[in-house]
Amino acid sequence: MNDAASMNSVLFISFLLFSVGVAGVLIRRNVLIILMCVELMLNAANLNLVAFARHSGTVAGQAFALLVMGLAAAEVTIGLALVVALYRKKDTIQVDQINLLKG
Amino acid sequence: MESFLASIGQYMFHLFGLMAVGGALALVFSKNAIHSIVGFLLAMLAVAGCYLCLSAEFIAVAQLLVYAGGIVVLFLFVVMLVEMTKYKEKGLFQVQTGWAVGAVLAGAVAIISVFWRTWFGPNATVALTLPPDLARGLDVGHQNAEAVSRGIFAQYLLPFEILSVILLVALVGAVVLAKTERV
Repeated sequence: MNDAASMNSVLFISFLLFSVGVAGVLIRRNVLIILMCVELMLNAANLNLVAFARHSGTVAGQAFALLVMGLAAAEVTIGLALVVALYRKKDTIQVDQINLLKG
Repeated sequence: MESFLASIGQYMFHLFGLMAVGGALALVFSKNAIHSIVGFLLAMLAVAGCYLCLSAEFIAVAQLLVYAGGIVVLFLFVVMLVEMTKYKEKGLFQVQTGWAVGAVLAGAVAIISVFWRTWFGPNATVALTLPPDLARGLDVGHQNAEAVSRGIFAQYLLPFEILSVILLVALVGAVVLAKTERV
């Protein structure tokens, strides 16, 4: 297969995904949306890893993309368990109403 | 047929990438949480398509299995457990939305200037390509699962084992965090 996608376009798509994820984490109030935006940022990093694995001809990027995927699954499991525990305790999942650590 | 596939192959990545960005925007800006999850699902499927275009078939199938099959269903279960309809009228965005969007746009402009320089500047012709000796010696595209398994189980065995310990910790931690007080 010849050059299906140039490195610049892969990096640009990954950058767009990452910035949308950062914006979602910063502006949304819902914890579930924030967790999904974190997953989006991890996927942008994975896209970069796979692109560099293809362009360097080695398999390290793809192997670590797979490891990052497993880590993301573990992270979302813990995050959703925290959300459920928080909802039981505080009866809300809006992050601006969870201010127990505010001095 | 081969030339046709090669000619559309250049555009498939851009199509999937734009689908991913559209799904991400739908995730951030939709009012209903279920609509956000559908946008997330669209973004994950499109990223799997991007992996296919980058000749990483095993990663693409793993992305479908883990994200579209597991994580989206997990998010749907939590939306079902956590009743969010009573917070719909309280506003979608944080109070610092203006500052946050300004900061993200400032960072985006900084990075876009770098992209601009690599696309249109004097170094625009220097493209990152596959060196031909590497391309003949270690072909990632062909027999992708075999190459990835050699990478994981031989070359990077220690990170894989550390990841398995992390998964065990996450399993036990999720059970401990989510169990009720009475048990």
